[in-house]
Amino acid sequence: MSVTAEGVFGRAQADKEAWLLPELTGLIEHHRAHCPPYARILDAIGHRPGTPYAAVADLPWLPVRLFKTHELKSIGDGEVVKTLSSSGTTGAGVSRVFLDRAAATAQTRALSRTMRAVLGPARLPMMIVDSRSIITDRTAYSARGAGVLGMATLGRDHVWVLDERGEPDLPAIRDFLARHGQAPFLIFGFTFLVWRFLYEPAAAAGFDLSHGVLVHSGGWKRLAAAAVDGVEFRRRFADGTGLRRIHNFYGMVEQIGTIFLEGPEGGSLYCPDFADVVIRDPATWREAPAGTPGLIEVVSTLPTSHPGHVLLTEDLGVVHGVDDGDWPGKRFSVLGRLPRAEARGCSDTIGRGGAA
Amino acid sequence: MSLAARFPATGPTGIDALLAELAAVPAGGPLTVGDERVIDFLSGVSKRLLDPAVTRRHPELGPLGFFLRRAELLRALPAPADGRRQPRGLIFHVPPANVDTIFAYSWALAALTGNHNVVRLSARAAGAAEAVLAALNEALAGAHPAIGQTQRIVTYGHDAEVTERLSAACDLRVIWGGDRAVNDVRRHPIRPLARDLTFPDRASFAAVSVPGWAAADHDARRAAAAAFAADAYWFDQAACASPRAVYWIGPDLAAARARAEFDALLAAAVRDRGWAIEPAMAVQNRVGAYGAAADGTATAIGFVSDMVTTLDLAVPAAYPRARLGTGVFAHATLARLTDLAGVVDRRDQTLTYFGFSAEELRDLATALAGRGIDRIVPFGAALSFSPVWDGYDLPREFTKIMTIR
Repeated sequence: MSVTAEGVFGRAQADKEAWLLPELTGLIEHHRAHCPPYARILDAIGHRPGTPYAAVADLPWLPVRLFKTHELKSIGDGEVVKTLSSSGTTGAGVSRVFLDRAAATAQTRALSRTMRAVLGPARLPMMIVDSRSIITDRTAYSARGAGVLGMATLGRDHVWVLDERGEPDLPAIRDFLARHGQAPFLIFGFTFLVWRFLYEPAAAAGFDLSHGVLVHSGGWKRLAAAAVDGVEFRRRFADGTGLRRIHNFYGMVEQIGTIFLEGPEGGSLYCPDFADVVIRDPATWREAPAGTPGLIEVVSTLPTSHPGHVLLTEDLGVVHGVDDGDWPGKRFSVLGRLPRAEARGCSDTIGRGGAA
Repeated sequence: MSLAARFPATGPTGIDALLAELAAVPAGGPLTVGDERVIDFLSGVSKRLLDPAVTRRHPELGPLGFFLRRAELLRALPAPADGRRQPRGLIFHVPPANVDTIFAYSWALAALTGNHNVVRLSARAAGAAEAVLAALNEALAGAHPAIGQTQRIVTYGHDAEVTERLSAACDLRVIWGGDRAVNDVRRHPIRPLARDLTFPDRASFAAVSVPGWAAADHDARRAAAAAFAADAYWFDQAACASPRAVYWIGPDLAAARARAEFDALLAAAVRDRGWAIEPAMAVQNRVGAYGAAADGTATAIGFVSDMVTTLDLAVPAAYPRARLGTGVFAHATLARLTDLAGVVDRRDQTLTYFGFSAEELRDLATALAGRGIDRIVPFGAALSFSPVWDGYDLPREFTKIMTIR
C-alpha cells in the first residue's frame, strides 16, 4: 500500500475510493484473522468472511470508544513496541492503541508525508507552543505530550514557547525569530494554547511571524468565550503578526499518523489519499449528503496492528463539497463533540464523578 | 461549607443550625407513627401533584400523587398501631441524583412513620424533582409548623463534612444510588445504635412464557409489549428495575417465533410513544452491544429499529448486568421457568413476567431459595413504587417496636 510519491493530497474522490475499498476490505480480513474480539463483532453483526462491499460507506465500523472499553489488537503481546493511550475529554476511561514496529514506522512516515504538503521537503526550524515539561515530565505524560512528540520530529532547532511555569518565554521567542524568522519556520501547538500564549503576546509585542507555517489542533470550544472561530483566528493572526499560512488539523490516537489537514485557503479539512471521512446520520447510520451534519467516521489504511481502520467518532462534522476545493477529495469541518447523553438511573448519585 | 435549604425553602443555612433545629421537640409535641399533622400535610402535597397542570408536564408525578393520598398512606402504616410501634428518630436520606422521584417516596414513608428527616438532594436534580419541591413548599403554607421543623430537604456540594455530621447525628441512614455511592457514604461512621439501609447496584430481567404468549390474543401481546416498553424505557433502561434481558421459557422454535413478534411489537410500541433516542445514546448502544460481542457474551446483534437492539446470549446464564445502553436487550431461551435459578444471583432485583401462572411463579420463588430477586411483578409494574422495596418493608424499617408486658 503505497501513497503517491509527490504528495498525499492527489487523488480525486472516485480514484481514492476505488483504491481505498480493496485496501480497507483487505484490512477487515486481516484484523478478522488476527483480532478475535473484532472477529466476534463482525460475526455478531452478520459480516461474514468474504462479504463484498460496494462502497467505503458500506464497510463495518467500530465505535472509537470501544478502544477505551476493550483491548483490541491484531498483534501478539511480544510484537508490541509502542502502546499509545489517550483519555478523552469525558474522563470515561483511556483508549489504548497497540503498535508493532511496522505500524509505528508507517504512521511516522505517513504523518511526515502529509505534513510535507504544507511544509515542503526540508526540515524547518520549529516553535512549539507548549512547555518542555509536557514531554519530560513522565508523570504528566498525556495525549498532548504524545502529539507534541509526534510533530517535533518534523522540525529542528526547537524552541519552547512556554517556560517551566507555563508562561510565554518572550526572550526565547525573540531569539528564535532573530535566528530563523526570515525564512520559513514551523509553529505547532494546540489551538487554545496557540491563541492564548502565542497570538496574544506576539501581537502585543509586535513580533513578525510572516514566515511561519502554523499547524494546530484541538477544537474551538475554549475560544468560543473570546468569540474566536477559524475565520477570526486566521484574520487576527494575519493582521496582528503577519502569519497567513495556517493549517488546522483533525486526528486521533486511535488512527495515529492520519491527520485531516486544513487547506491553504482555510475553512475546510482535507483527507490524505490513504484516508477518508464518511458523515453518518446517527438516527439511521446512513451516509449524510454533503451539507448535512452528522457523526464523523474516519477510515485509514494505516492501522495494521489494531482494528482502527474504520472508526465512528463521537465528533460532529459536515462535508462541504467533493473535488471542489484547494485539494481533491472531500472537504469537511468538525463541528464539535456530540453532547453527552444525560446519565440516568439508580447508580447515579451525587458525589460520583462531579464533572457536572 | 454551602448548605442550602430547599424544603422549607429558606436558602443558605449551616450544619449546626440544621442539626439543632432537627433535634428540637416540634410544636404540638413529638411526631408519632401515622401522625395526623404529617398525613394532613402529605395529602395536601398529593392534591398539588395530582393537579392536571403538574401531571401533564411530569407524568411520573401522577403515581407519587396517588401514593400520597390519605387512604394510601393509612394502608401503608404498619401494625401494631397502638403506640408500641415507634419512630426511629432522625433519618438521613441519600437518594440517587437522577431518578427524580425516589427521594419523595423514601422520605414520605419516613415522615409518615413519625421520623425527623433530612434528605440530601442533588444540586443537579431538575424537572420532576423541582416540581416535587414546589408542591412541598406550597403545601407547607397550610401545614402544621411541626412539619417545617422536622422535615428538611437540603442541597450541598462535595462537602464531606456535612455528610460526616449528618451521618453522625442520624439514627438511620438510607443510601440509594449504587455500589459506589454506598461505599462512599459508608466511609462516614454512624453511631453504634444507628443502622444503614442500602440500595446498591441491582439488575433486572424479564421472562415470557412461550405457551402463555401463544395463548394471548394480538391485543394482549401488543399490550404486553407496550407495558414492557414502559418498564424498559421510562428511565432509559437505567433504573435498577429496568429489564436488561428477556428469557423465553419454552421450546426453542416457538420461542424464536414469539421473540420475533415481540421485537417488532416492542419497536412499534416505542415508536407509538414518540420516544426518540439521542445520538450520544445511539452511539452508546453500539459501544455496549459491540462490546458484548467482543467479550463473547453475545453471539448475534440485531438492530430491530433505531430504538431496539437485541443480543443473542452465548450462555443463557450470563446476561450483561451492567447497563449497555437504552433499548439493548439480551435474549435467551430456557426450557423451564425454574431454570432461571441457574441465572439469578444476589444482585438481581426485579423479574418482570408475562404469561405465567401464580403456581409457576411460586415454584420459581421456592427454587430461588433467597439467592436473588426481590420482586416478581407483571410487565408494566417494574417501576411502580411499593413500600416494600428491594426486599425491605420500608415502613417497618423506619420504625421499631417497643415491648410492653
